[in-house]
Amino acid sequence: MSHWVCHSCGARYGYALERCTHCDVALTELESSSGTVIAVTEVSVPSVGHEDAPYYCALLEDEDGSSLIVKLSRPVIVGQHVTVGVPDEAERIVVGVLGTGIMGKGLVELLMGSGYDVVWVGRSQPSIDAARKKLLERLGRVMDEGELGERLDRLDAGIRMDGLHECDLVIEAIVEELEPKKEWLRVAEQAMRAEAILATNTSGLPLDELAAVLEHPERFGCLHFFNPATRMKLVEVSSPDTTSAQTRERLEAFARALGKVPVTVKSRPAFVVNRVLMPLINEAVRSLEEEAASAEQIDEAIRLGLNHPMGPLELADLIGLDVVVDIMDNLVERTGDGIYAPRPMLRTLVGQGHLGRKTSRGFYDHSAPRA
Amino acid sequence: MPQGYVLGVGKTRFGPTSKSLPALAQEAIIAALGDAGLTVGDIDAFIVANYLGGPNEGRLHLNSVVAGLMPGTHLPGWRVEAACASGGVAVHDALLSLSRYGTVLVVGVERMSGIPGMQLTRNIGMAGDLDLDQGAGLNFPASYALVAQRHMDAFGTTTRDLELVSLKNHDNARLNPLAHFYHKTVTQADIDAGVMVASPLRLFDCCPVSDGAAAVVISGASRGDRSIPILGSGLSTDAISLSQRTVHTSFIAARNAAASAYEQASVSASDVDFVEVHDCFTIAEVVAMEDLGLCSPGEATRLIRDGVTSRDGALPVNASGGLKAGGHAIGATGVGQVYEVVKQLRGEAGDRQLAKARIGLTHNVGGVGGTCAVHVLGSAS
Repeated sequence: MSHWVCHSCGARYGYALERCTHCDVALTELESSSGTVIAVTEVSVPSVGHEDAPYYCALLEDEDGSSLIVKLSRPVIVGQHVTVGVPDEAERIVVGVLGTGIMGKGLVELLMGSGYDVVWVGRSQPSIDAARKKLLERLGRVMDEGELGERLDRLDAGIRMDGLHECDLVIEAIVEELEPKKEWLRVAEQAMRAEAILATNTSGLPLDELAAVLEHPERFGCLHFFNPATRMKLVEVSSPDTTSAQTRERLEAFARALGKVPVTVKSRPAFVVNRVLMPLINEAVRSLEEEAASAEQIDEAIRLGLNHPMGPLELADLIGLDVVVDIMDNLVERTGDGIYAPRPMLRTLVGQGHLGRKTSRGFYDHSAPRA
Repeated sequence: MPQGYVLGVGKTRFGPTSKSLPALAQEAIIAALGDAGLTVGDIDAFIVANYLGGPNEGRLHLNSVVAGLMPGTHLPGWRVEAACASGGVAVHDALLSLSRYGTVLVVGVERMSGIPGMQLTRNIGMAGDLDLDQGAGLNFPASYALVAQRHMDAFGTTTRDLELVSLKNHDNARLNPLAHFYHKTVTQADIDAGVMVASPLRLFDCCPVSDGAAAVVISGASRGDRSIPILGSGLSTDAISLSQRTVHTSFIAARNAAASAYEQASVSASDVDFVEVHDCFTIAEVVAMEDLGLCSPGEATRLIRDGVTSRDGALPVNASGGLKAGGHAIGATGVGQVYEVVKQLRGEAGDRQLAKARIGLTHNVGGVGGTCAVHVLGSAS
């Protein structure tokens, strides 16, 4: 929260401007990170972008008489002193991201767009180089060269874990398999500072088992982001019993600071979203196998009939069919219920290397622009 | 000397309808031309007031849409957007344009029905700043809720005062066949049952969202005793966000617009017989009365409690039902206020005709005081 002030005429601006309209002299940025509540309202109606009602909007006045409006998740009263925005500590927070897959890239894009310092670790130099190149392309669409250069100065991308020592929070987003995750989490923890938090972006692997390999399971939890991470509002926040209350709070606060809506879920196989989604995808594949309709028709029917923004087959292509199969196999293993077993067509496509968008082919051909 | 004359007025019912935006606009245009005794051929230019055609319906370039309602005319025409003050600003603009055009048609139109609630709340919230307000979850009711909280703190205004505004305006709307809530009797029990929207504002503190259109024909010359002079037209603006201001119990833009309109009209607040003010929320009516100088800051609630602002009081406020019960078809609202005041000044307001109506005033606000247009209208001479 800042105001931009003209020292010549005293004019105040609420926008990040460089010059005073009256005097054409440079403005000074005045940051206000706290203020006294002079009015507050509990907002009970949700709106697009603010689905998390009820929440509170407070009008604050800081020491130099500037006002600011802040959104809060907890009630405050008039006269109360409130520190706002990303806390000072979190403002310079350094976040580590492990993995260069879709979620790894998406998370780094989200974090860099939100102004965080990022340490990004991939498994090999070619994979991190390729991921970095893709990231630049994406950021280049929303930033000019100067801005991009500035942000890149705050990105440390490589293959060594040493950089994680700088991090306050590390998010693991490598392949969705238990053993590799255990190994990466264990090694990452060794490189991290004692007070830093480690989170996995698993979509539902058993958190107890992941926590078991760590020396400090109390500082470990799960932040499950959704693809595309820059746009999807939900973060499933989950934690094993070993997680400390402080870690849970910090994980939720971090999700909120990114503009996300955290929903706390227990550590059950595939959490909530994927637990519900996987059978939907599987039944859509079954319909395709039974030739009930074409992929396009199945997706259109679900979009229009259930008011989903995407059909299950196009969504599966977006997620990656290998990831879908992994989650389903894992659900069978952990629940003992064969109902979750991936349909043969899913396995066939994965066997042929058709993994969805990332290989340009899954249920759809993504190599050519779709009509 | 008047700034111009209102030759004719027309208005659709405000409220939900299946009629399209062009159909609504046309209905108001035909009514206004008929009321003025004119035809499309008599119009020299037109202005369209609309706020959410783009976000709600993907409809922009509305001056051209309205041109399609007057085929073959190829008139100069343009659109004005200033959030909920679009209509009032368009009337102000029409008066300015009289330096070039003889007779100007202003049509305000809005369609709100059929947009999912969460989307509509976001769209209306676009009247607040993208970063300073929208980003902080400060939707439109929340903005006015903060104003209400500040007003309560500063002047001891109570939720009961706000309820009285709501009851009065709902009562007035029962006499206005074009009002959103013409058919609905609102009782204390309804108000008590209203859900909280943004504390302290509850459901019946909020105006409805309405479809509708209103049109007025404005000219530099009177056409007789049904032509109503616009004596003063004031327009002022302020930074969009409450966080960019130091005063939160009053809108400086409204004070400035009123001062400018009074000065132009050579009248003072005490000369005004009745007003149509922008009560998008009940607290807004309280603030409006104070900003218009109808009473001192903090005094509006006393007038409301004493019944002074009722239809039979000394200073009727929102005899039409206001936005609260008359409806708020955003782009049409400011134009609809002029319709209402003209009807009263002509003595054509039917069941809701006020006993004393020689000087009337409209007060149209965009956002939470970011824009305000005030018009003072007098009787035909």
